[in-house]
Amino acid sequence: MTDAVEFESVGFVYPDGTRALAEVSLRVPAGQRLAIIGQNGSGKSTLVRQLNGLLQPTEGRVLVEGRDTRGRHVAELAATVGLAFQNPDRQIFAGRVRREVEFGPRNLGLRGRALDDAATRALDAAGMADQAESNPYDLGYSRRKLLAIASILAMGTPIVVLDEPTTGQDAAGVERVRRIVADLAAAGRTVLAVSHDMRFVADSFDRAVVLRAGRIVLDGTPDEGFAEASWPVLASTFLEPPVAARVGARMGMGSTPTVAALVEAMKARGSAGPI
Amino acid sequence: MIAVTEAGFAFLVRGWTGPLVVLALVLATALVAGVSRRMLPFVLATLPLVLSIMLINTFLFPGAHDPIGTIGPFTATWTGLLAALQATLRVVAFALSVAVFALTTDTDDLLTDLEQRGLGRRAEFVIGAAVRTVPRMIERAGEIVDAQRARGLDTQGGPIRRVRGVLPLAGPMISSSLGEVEERTMALEARAFTAPTRRTAIRHLPDSLGQRVVRWGSFAAVVLVVAATFGGWLSLP
Amino acid sequence: MALVLSGVSYRYAGTQKPVLHGIDLRVERGEVVGVAGASDAGKSTLCLVAAGLAPGTVGGTLAGSVEIDSEATTSLKPFELAQRCGMLFQNSVTQLSGTSRSVWEEIAFGPRNLGLPLAEVVERVEAGLAALRIEALASRDPLRVSGGQAQLVALASVLALRPAYLVLDEPTSQLDPEGTQLVGDALAGLAGTAGTGILIVEHKTDLLARLTQRMLVLDDGRVALAGATEAVLADPTLRALGVEPPSLVTIGREAATAGIHLDPADLAMALAPRRA
Repeated sequence: MTDAVEFESVGFVYPDGTRALAEVSLRVPAGQRLAIIGQNGSGKSTLVRQLNGLLQPTEGRVLVEGRDTRGRHVAELAATVGLAFQNPDRQIFAGRVRREVEFGPRNLGLRGRALDDAATRALDAAGMADQAESNPYDLGYSRRKLLAIASILAMGTPIVVLDEPTTGQDAAGVERVRRIVADLAAAGRTVLAVSHDMRFVADSFDRAVVLRAGRIVLDGTPDEGFAEASWPVLASTFLEPPVAARVGARMGMGSTPTVAALVEAMKARGSAGPI
Repeated sequence: MIAVTEAGFAFLVRGWTGPLVVLALVLATALVAGVSRRMLPFVLATLPLVLSIMLINTFLFPGAHDPIGTIGPFTATWTGLLAALQATLRVVAFALSVAVFALTTDTDDLLTDLEQRGLGRRAEFVIGAAVRTVPRMIERAGEIVDAQRARGLDTQGGPIRRVRGVLPLAGPMISSSLGEVEERTMALEARAFTAPTRRTAIRHLPDSLGQRVVRWGSFAAVVLVVAATFGGWLSLP
Repeated sequence: MALVLSGVSYRYAGTQKPVLHGIDLRVERGEVVGVAGASDAGKSTLCLVAAGLAPGTVGGTLAGSVEIDSEATTSLKPFELAQRCGMLFQNSVTQLSGTSRSVWEEIAFGPRNLGLPLAEVVERVEAGLAALRIEALASRDPLRVSGGQAQLVALASVLALRPAYLVLDEPTSQLDPEGTQLVGDALAGLAGTAGTGILIVEHKTDLLARLTQRMLVLDDGRVALAGATEAVLADPTLRALGVEPPSLVTIGREAATAGIHLDPADLAMALAPRRA
């Protein structure tokens, strides 16, 4: 089966000579939930911009559903890869929430009933059905952020990329994003997310890739990535494993990246044991 | 200062000798200031204007009757071509003078100088912020274009498509700028921007005798050339 | 000596519905008080009101009183307020003046506005750089440093006006873990050594747990919970109020549901650096 995304030793150097990516090789099977983590400036944003052709690799190849992105228009790739940027205010322009959500699918050629349905489904997923007629600028930051995500979901792309989806969100917003990721995966769609939020990564993703200075320094499941053996690598790029992983390691429970995994391990042992 | 004078000359003088002399002066100044290499972009920027000057003058010079050749309904004339070349020289000389000014004058020095000459802190802030935020505005515009292209906005294609594409780009640009202005105003108030005292100066610019001579000399030269032009005494070949 | 809000209600100009209702809040010098709440609960408005920017700069209608060391904020001019209570916004970029070519000059912006003698401007800038340990950034372009560093520059710029109180509106929300750590350390140091009174709005409850002794949770413009940070963060209604409890609280609770009882102090120990 073809991978949703494949990076073949991709390098990227900006026109001013700054190297942002070096020898990045990555295969993302269809339906996987992949988190990309790393500091600001580690190359995460550059990496996700290669997925829909906003940037073309200066070395190596990027394949999306088996096809090279080279020479393909962003507008064409947008039918396959939906990318929600970190800052919703760089995107939102419509006077009504529903119009904003319809923009993407309309560009992809949806009209009439199909367009209505796509927008309604996306608004439901973001929990914004009752705000469809609101002005986006009357909404708080958390809601605007969800709106920006909804307007990508509405495009129905098989691959969805979310840049820092939980940043600046309150508890309800984070919970909503978790649900969106789970629903996308359940529908067989591939989800890539850039995030600093270790708890969100551990809870919602199958796999985590850590970037440092444009290179992949860690690649594995949350169990592997947040196991004690990986901590030095995480620390080298100022990342702290989730609290549950730290508590589990201290208790000698092995790798417990999520609260649920930690509590399971405690139950299996029958007690909390020494700390 | 010399650059500003040269720009003034370039704008005023006509005929052949004038623009050529100015051009030579500009190039000499640029060489002395060591900025000649970085002037190419400014020359390129005048290219569209130069092209239109060449085409319009060569083909559409009013009342010229010395044809070179004809393309369709348009006839090129020698008078037109010569006028076009003269105009081009002036444009290039003017552009290069501006380039020398931009490349040799530090905005901070300019602002410090204006401030010491009594420019208010508001005016200073507006000029300073305008100059310094240009690169950030360009960056932001890039992000907005990227965000909409990622949603399938086709920025290639015919004029109607492009016009339709403007709203999704202009909207976020305007609304995020407005939002920022509000927050920026509060942030400035929170940093005592509206205090009634005179701001503390932190730098003093050197102003030598030589610099003063050049400045007043240049100013006098501009006045002379302006007077000569309007008095009709300046009729170079 | 404290920043005191008594029975404060506030509504923005041109709107009917108040954003804040009957808020009572007290921040002593040297104390860090936390504020949490859902996205539209009125946290940012509370910041503006506490710092005197609303109604001062923003307009709107205030009921009740906001006093800084017994002076009503409404009786102070903006530049006088700036020297009593500093305000730091979420976005570090909008609060930089945008006119300075170096971090040094950016920090000097406020003191220069006050027309202080040059020697004192220099002294304040150097002190600000040292307090946040950003001396190395002095000659850098303030628009070309990392997000965390920019927030520290913005903080140093506010501190250069020597306010006794600071109001911070989600100062780490746009920052990566390294930036969050930098700002968190800086704030802890300020309250401890400089005796600054700090009011901080944060979504990151782990950071609130570390920095504050007291906190309150806003819900629809009203104080829903208030008290010792530990008690507030362990409150069972926290999540319903739009605030994600710290991981340790969730762990203790989930374990208890599974019939395993953990001592919170032991749990906290698990996060302390391991002794060699």
